Amino acid sequence: MTPLLEVQGLSKSFGGLHALSDVSFDVAAGEIFAVIGPNGAGKTTLFNCLAGAAAPTSGTIRLGGERIDGRAPHEICHRGLARTFQLVKPFRGMTVLENVKVAAFSRHPSAKQATTAAQAVLDRVGMAELAAVDAETLNVAQLRQLEIARALATQPQLLLLDEMLAGLTATESAAMCERIRQLPREGIAVIVVEHSIPVVTSLCSRAVVLCFGKVLRRGATREVIADPRVQEAYLGNAQT
Amino acid sequence: MSSFRTVTMVTAVLLVVFAAVSGNRYYLDIFIFTCFYGTLAVCWNMMAGLTGLMSLGHALFVGLGAYSVAWGVSVHGWSPLVTWPMGMGLAVAAAFVIGMLCFRYGLRGYFFAIATLAFGEVAFFMVSATETLGRSDGMIMPISSTDIPGQLQFFEKWPYALIIMTILIGTIGVGEALMRSRTGYYWRALRDNEQAAEALGVNARAFKLRCFMLSAGISALCGAFYANYVAFVDPRSVLGVELSIQMLVYSIVGGMSLLWGPLVGAAVLVPFSILLRDYSAMPGGDIVVYAVLLAVLALLLPQGIAGWFVSKWRT
Repeated sequence: MTPLLEVQGLSKSFGGLHALSDVSFDVAAGEIFAVIGPNGAGKTTLFNCLAGAAAPTSGTIRLGGERIDGRAPHEICHRGLARTFQLVKPFRGMTVLENVKVAAFSRHPSAKQATTAAQAVLDRVGMAELAAVDAETLNVAQLRQLEIARALATQPQLLLLDEMLAGLTATESAAMCERIRQLPREGIAVIVVEHSIPVVTSLCSRAVVLCFGKVLRRGATREVIADPRVQEAYLGNAQT
Repeated sequence: MSSFRTVTMVTAVLLVVFAAVSGNRYYLDIFIFTCFYGTLAVCWNMMAGLTGLMSLGHALFVGLGAYSVAWGVSVHGWSPLVTWPMGMGLAVAAAFVIGMLCFRYGLRGYFFAIATLAFGEVAFFMVSATETLGRSDGMIMPISSTDIPGQLQFFEKWPYALIIMTILIGTIGVGEALMRSRTGYYWRALRDNEQAAEALGVNARAFKLRCFMLSAGISALCGAFYANYVAFVDPRSVLGVELSIQMLVYSIVGGMSLLWGPLVGAAVLVPFSILLRDYSAMPGGDIVVYAVLLAVLALLLPQGIAGWFVSKWRT
């Protein structure tokens, strides 16, 4: 069976800086996959390349067998890949429902259908009671939920989540993890960028570790985390 | 407010004012210019306030409309049925080319504003130097002593008032309908965060172009009307940067977050500035008073008159 997402030999340079070099991995349908690595390892650049916000210098990205590398972000969205951003910014002067409607319009061109679809997504993520609230008044946890709601409203097959737990309290991140865990049951594969190792091990079956733009290790999450090279690169060398 | 209610209210207010001033040629003239600048400000703000595209060269499109009419009728005797669509077509095409160039190279914010300003100024100087367009002296359109409805020549002013009112109401109607559709949502999303909007499936370039072309088309329509009403066009009045700045000022004073906000700005400032000009005792005194009023309004009502009104209404 072909994997849902297939990344082969992906490189991205900014002038002389090799942000990503020869990165390869694949993600199966219904899987929660982790991309981990120290700050500056190229995780966000990788997301940008996958979502079309940056064009890769070389290499191929296939979604459901079709090449998406170098395509525009809105085309990639229509093919079923959605992403969230680290810094969540709602659209100004719009309610929560209207924010989600913007995303729902990608599948439902009529305003009526888009409203229905957006409401359904808000019900699904448990934000229905916030529908009429001005999105700018939400707190951090609610903004993250809104970010997920917007991404889900584009009906993705694959969802890229960029540090969704940063800055959340323990209770909030537990709720968020629970939400992420449900996504494969709804037929959505997930790639997370996350710093918390316990979260990554509990959520993700497989992981890839990036370090200075290169793949340091990939495979089952527990084995990857246990690798001394990964520990050294990612956690710093704690052993004396 | 539903789009139907906004259009109904604007229509009702316009009809009441029209009925009140229709007996007086002087006031009717002010009313016509208020509608003219109001329409321009609304369609300018469709780009700036609602889509985040600040154009400083909108006079270019007004000029294309006005000069199409003036040139068409004085050189070829063409009817407005030919010249109006021609002017609008030229403006839409110009917006398409300028938009493709700007959006292809990712010009945003101030850079987009400067690029549009440059195109507008180039047109200003090109027309000022073109023999067949009357150079900087402008073009006087042929006027007959009797009404020629087919050439939109009327002695009375009320037919012109009805025409520009129709254009204004149509603009508000189309704008309101768009703001409630996918297009309007995409425009606002692009204004706030283009990257996020694209990730949610918005084709940024296509929807920005759509906005630019619509706004340019309506501007040209207003320009065509202006030529037929005033029967004289020159580069300063229809291609000058002052005209582009006026649209910006009315929008800021009226309120840029609402489709009809700029109309309120024009409704306050246009009559005020005409009356000031006509009644001020000291030369230039009207401009001083006007400038002070602008500064006071900007300080007291940063969201504009309409924005202030709506926030009062909601609380």
